[in-house]
Amino acid sequence: MQLHIRHLTHHYALTEVLQDVNLSLHAGETLALVGPSGCGKSTLLHIVAGLLIPAQGDVQSSFRGLGCMFQQPRLMPWKDVLDNIALGLKALGVPAVSRRAQASQLALRLGLAEHDWAKYPHELSGGMQSRVALARALVTKPDLLLMDEPFAALDVGLKHELYGLLREQVAQRGTAVLMITHDLMEAVRLADRIVVMTAQPGRVLRAFVVALPQEQRSEVWIYERTARLMQMQDVRESFGMPPLTNIDDAGGVSFAGASRCGTKGRDEGLVVSTESCSATGTLPRQGGCSI
Amino acid sequence: MKNTAMSIRLVHRLQRSLAAVLSYLWSGWGALASLFLFCALWEWGAQHYGLLLLPGPQATMLQLVQMLRDGVALEPLQISARRALYGLGAAVLVGSLLGMLAGRSMTAAMAARPLVTLLLGMPPIAWLVLAMLWFGMGDATPVFTVFVACFPLVFAAAMQGARTLDHQLRDVAHVLRLPWWMSLTDIYLPHMLSYLFPAWITALGSSWKVVVMAELLATADGVGAALAVSRAQLDSSASLAWILAVLVLLLATEYLVLEPIKRLAERWRQ
Repeated sequence: MQLHIRHLTHHYALTEVLQDVNLSLHAGETLALVGPSGCGKSTLLHIVAGLLIPAQGDVQSSFRGLGCMFQQPRLMPWKDVLDNIALGLKALGVPAVSRRAQASQLALRLGLAEHDWAKYPHELSGGMQSRVALARALVTKPDLLLMDEPFAALDVGLKHELYGLLREQVAQRGTAVLMITHDLMEAVRLADRIVVMTAQPGRVLRAFVVALPQEQRSEVWIYERTARLMQMQDVRESFGMPPLTNIDDAGGVSFAGASRCGTKGRDEGLVVSTESCSATGTLPRQGGCSI
Repeated sequence: MKNTAMSIRLVHRLQRSLAAVLSYLWSGWGALASLFLFCALWEWGAQHYGLLLLPGPQATMLQLVQMLRDGVALEPLQISARRALYGLGAAVLVGSLLGMLAGRSMTAAMAARPLVTLLLGMPPIAWLVLAMLWFGMGDATPVFTVFVACFPLVFAAAMQGARTLDHQLRDVAHVLRLPWWMSLTDIYLPHMLSYLFPAWITALGSSWKVVVMAELLATADGVGAALAVSRAQLDSSASLAWILAVLVLLLATEYLVLEPIKRLAERWRQ
């Protein structure tokens, strides 16, 4: 099962929002799209979800089942928690008793206590609404999960908890995840591959592979790799931040030397390029730079 | 464990229902106070103008009770209620459904707007004249007139309700692959109810007004016809008694039937 996006171009009226975007996603993989606001990440996600028809280009998806989690929880205000979670199952024709049972099981697993199940969305806190939205996306056991900055508005502790729950569910079912985030640390923590996009027009700038498996990523490792990403000129440019003036200020991020690249060593994790590893130079887009 | 969970939910639901019913009944004091003030004003008018021009509330109520005792009042009321119900029911069903479908399509909404203005602007009496020509003096005339008077109200509200559904919720329905009929019942209808209920209440009032008018001019039975007879006999108390009977039925339908349904359907709004 795969998702292939080829030469995707889209515009709103006269503004070109996406320009020649090429992406692939395979089963069980987590891909993070990182970029500044307005670079077309949400548009790309809407196109993959089938909510928009692109102007040009080809999107081929052989994933069965789609789960979606948006920036806002987008819960139905007139349904209680369990009915909101079970809505996807209702669309599939699952009988009422069975779908409430599945919904309550997943709700418990995601930290929603039983006394909350009969509440309406306006009675829930933001964190609980996010949990309900996550449960709604996962209850149909989708093969592809689309996430549009879903944890952006939550506090650090809550984010941490939801990351753990998300990873557990994804690992259990082997779901492929396409997530949008503007938080580099979230991308380094959760993704197998990171694609950096830039705006005006929206296009892919760099692609990174996070080589270390998720279970082995420690907190310190994540902070360190995020720092490295933040120091790269391309990444800083795509977010509109000024480049770091002195390479020494960057704490020696020069990966000069082919020896550092693509080698499995103690420092394995963020491979920058297969060709040249200078942090200041512009590097080829493809070729799986890995961090 | 499943049984105790279910019984806990049931107890919570019963508690909530009981609280809702009691608070609704208690809130009736406000409506009653307002009605009594109106009765006081009416009594003052009656004392000022005399029994022929304006019988007071007491005289009217005594007359109504007398008419009920004589068995004269019940049958016309039933007849009028039946006609109003048929016309209103048809208008509510057809109007809500067509309005919902029209609201989903931009073309249909734009095409329907001037037609709705046209229908709303036409006076019911004009429809009555046409209906008398088409259907004669039977039941169909008042029912048709009521339908035509109430339909545009409900249709306009339903269309507006369907058009204003948050597009984000529509996207969620699309992503969850809801079949079209399920998106109507689970997504559109609950949102539209807050537009539909005021329209239904207005249509209810309209239906009674129009049915009495239609019967006054076009039929030989029903409340309107009885009103025509009492007017001809200059029996003001009887006329007002009929009007009072219609108003009591209207208030009862609105506060004992429509308002509780509205509160039940909208309990998610807290």
